[in-house]
Amino acid sequence: MTLWEIPAKNSAQIDALSQALNPAVAARLSEMGFTPGQDVYCLRRSPLQGPLVVQLGDCVYSLERDVANQIHLAHAS
Amino acid sequence: MKRIILVGKPNCGKSLLFNQLTGLRQKVANFPGVTVELKSGQFKEFELVDFPGTYSLHTLSKDEEIAVVKLKEAMQQEDTAVVVCVLDATRMERSLVFGLQVQALAKAHNKTVVFVLNMIDEVRRYGFDIDTTQLADELGSPVFALSAKTLIGLSEFQKALPEIARQPEQYRNEQPAIAPENALIVARELSKNHGVNADVVLKKQNRIDSFMLNNVFGGVAFLFIMFFLFQSIFTWATPLMDAVEFAIGELAVWVTGFTGEGMTTDFLSDAIFGGIGSFLVFVPQIMVLTLIIGVLEDSGYLARAALICHKPLSYFGLSGRSFIPYLSGHACAIPAIMAARTIESPRKRLFTMMTIPLMSCSARLPVYALLIAVLIPSDATLLGIFNLQGVAFFGLYLFGIVTALLVSFFLHKFTHQHDEKSDMPFILELPTYRLPHWKPLMYRVVNSGLAFIKRAGPVIFWVSVVIWVLGYFPQHGGLENSYLGKIGHFIEPVFEPLGLDWRYGVAILMSFLAREVFVGALGTLFGIEGADENISGLAENIQADGLALGAGIGLLLFYVVALQCVATVAVLRAETGKARIAAGLVVAYGLLAYIIALLAANLIN
Repeated sequence: MTLWEIPAKNSAQIDALSQALNPAVAARLSEMGFTPGQDVYCLRRSPLQGPLVVQLGDCVYSLERDVANQIHLAHAS
Repeated sequence: MKRIILVGKPNCGKSLLFNQLTGLRQKVANFPGVTVELKSGQFKEFELVDFPGTYSLHTLSKDEEIAVVKLKEAMQQEDTAVVVCVLDATRMERSLVFGLQVQALAKAHNKTVVFVLNMIDEVRRYGFDIDTTQLADELGSPVFALSAKTLIGLSEFQKALPEIARQPEQYRNEQPAIAPENALIVARELSKNHGVNADVVLKKQNRIDSFMLNNVFGGVAFLFIMFFLFQSIFTWATPLMDAVEFAIGELAVWVTGFTGEGMTTDFLSDAIFGGIGSFLVFVPQIMVLTLIIGVLEDSGYLARAALICHKPLSYFGLSGRSFIPYLSGHACAIPAIMAARTIESPRKRLFTMMTIPLMSCSARLPVYALLIAVLIPSDATLLGIFNLQGVAFFGLYLFGIVTALLVSFFLHKFTHQHDEKSDMPFILELPTYRLPHWKPLMYRVVNSGLAFIKRAGPVIFWVSVVIWVLGYFPQHGGLENSYLGKIGHFIEPVFEPLGLDWRYGVAILMSFLAREVFVGALGTLFGIEGADENISGLAENIQADGLALGAGIGLLLFYVVALQCVATVAVLRAETGKARIAAGLVVAYGLLAYIIALLAANLIN
C-alpha cells in the first residue's frame, strides 16, 4: 500500500521510499520527515485525484499523486 | 566591513527579522536568470546579508542550488563573522533538520552559528516555553528565543549579536560534528525534549483548512478571494493611476513652460512625458497587486490556492503555483513573470512565463474598448440579457486564457525535459495562517515598483525616443508623411490581407511602445485630438471610415495574441536567461496572431 491509497482521516506508518524516486526528491522527502517508522495522518483528499494533504510530525504537507505513490506504507492503523 | 549572514527556511519570519535589525535602508542584488535575491543592510558596524529562504542545503531546483552555492561562498569569505540561522520555534523538528545542516557547513568552514528561535510568542501562547540555555548546551551554539513580530527578546538579541560577531571564535561550536545521516534523529530527539506538541500548534491551522480546502466552501472562498484580487487591480488602483497621470501631465506643462515652442518641447511632451508617462501609470497598479499577493502569501493562503489549482492546471503542463502569475498577468505581464519565481519546477515555471503574455493586460483595455465600440452597438444584447459589448470583453479575456493553456499544453506534450532537475514534483508545505506584518510587505511593495521601473524603464525610454523620431521627422505634413507614415505605407501589403490599411499598420507599429498607444496613434491619423479621452468620437470616425467586421475582430484577436510589449520581452529575456526564448516568442506569437487575424478577416463577413 502506498501513501496515495490512504483514505482521509486515517493514520499509517511509513515503510520505505521507492527506489524509483529521483534521489534528490527522495533526500528531500526524508528531510521533510518521510522516513521509515514515521506516523503519517491523512487530513484530506482533493477531488479529481488532486494532491492529498497529510500531517507528519510538526508539519502539514501536500503531495501530488506521482510522489505519494512512491511512498510505501507499513500498515494502516 | 565584517558581515553577518541570515539564513532560514521559507516562512520562518526571516525577512521581518532582517527588517527589524537593519531599519529602512537596504540593497537588493539580483542574479540574472534565477530567482536568487540577496538583500543587504547595515546592522551596527556590520553588513547584514539576507539569503533567500531554502528548504534544505541539499538542493532540488536550480534556484536553490545557486542560493546554496552563494551561501557556501559566503562561508569561505574572511569577512563573514557569524551565520544567524533563523528557526521556526513552533516547528522545531523540521527547522532543526535544516539548522543542523547549516551548523555542520559552518563548522566545516570554521564559522560561528547563532540560532534564533523565532515566533516564540506563539509558543508561549500555546502555554509552552523553550529552555534556550539547555538547548544551546546541547547544540553547542548560542540560542536566542525571540519574536520579530511582537519584539519579545529582540532587544536582548540586538545587544548580544554584535558581541558575538566581534569575537566569533569564543562562540564557535566545539562539539563533534553530527554526521549527516544522524541529523534527522538528533533533530527529532531535540524537538521531542524542547519543542512544542505538534497537534496543539497545528490544531488551529487544520481547523481553518477544513473550511478553506473544503470541496464546496473552499471553492467559494477561492473564487471570492480571486475576485477581490481582480477588483483591487482594476478598481482600487485606478485613483492612484489617475493621480500619477495627472502629476506627470502637470509636470509636463510646468517643464515645457520653460522651453517654449519648438522641437525640444515636442520631444519633452510627447516622447518623454507622453512615452515614459504612459508607462509610469502602471507603477501604482503593480504596487497594489504586489500588496495583495504579499498579504495572501504572508497570511499562508497562497499555498492553499496553489493546492486547489494544482490538479486542473496540471492537465496543461502547469503547476498550481502558476495560477497567481496568470491572474497577475491581467494587470501587467512584467510583475506576473517575476511572480512565476515561486513555481517549484523550472520547466513549469518556463511554460508559465512563456504564456503569461497572452493574458489580457490592462494596456490592452483601451484597445479593446475602442474596437468593441467600433464594432458593436452599445445597446446590442446577447439573448436579451447580457450586454453584447460586455460579452465581447469577457470573450477576449477568455480567448487569451484558453490560448495560453493550449500553448502550454503543446509545449508540455512536444518538448522534452533536459535533466532531472528541470521538473520537480508538487510537494508543498502548508504554512500556519498568520496575520501579515506590514514591514516586509511595505518593502516588497516599494521594491516591486522600483524593480519594474529599473527593468522596463530603459527599454521603454529608447523605444519611445525612436518612435518619436520616426513619427516627428521629416517635419512636414504630419504623421502621414513622417518616416513612420512611410514605413506604414511600405508595410501596407502585410496588413492588407487582414483588411487593414496603412493607418492601422502605423498604429500597430507604435504599439510596440505600449499597446494603449494604438488608440492615441489612430486618433492622430483619424484627426481626433485627445483620442484617449474621446474614444466614442474616434469610434464614430472609424465607423464612418468603414472597418469590416471580420477585419475588426481579427484586429482584436491580433491584440490578444501578439507579443508587442518591448518591456515584457526584456523581462522575459532577463527571467528566462535566454534571449532566444524571448525572441522566439515575439516571432511565434506574432505569426499566430497574424494567422488568426487573417482567418477572422476572411471568414467573418
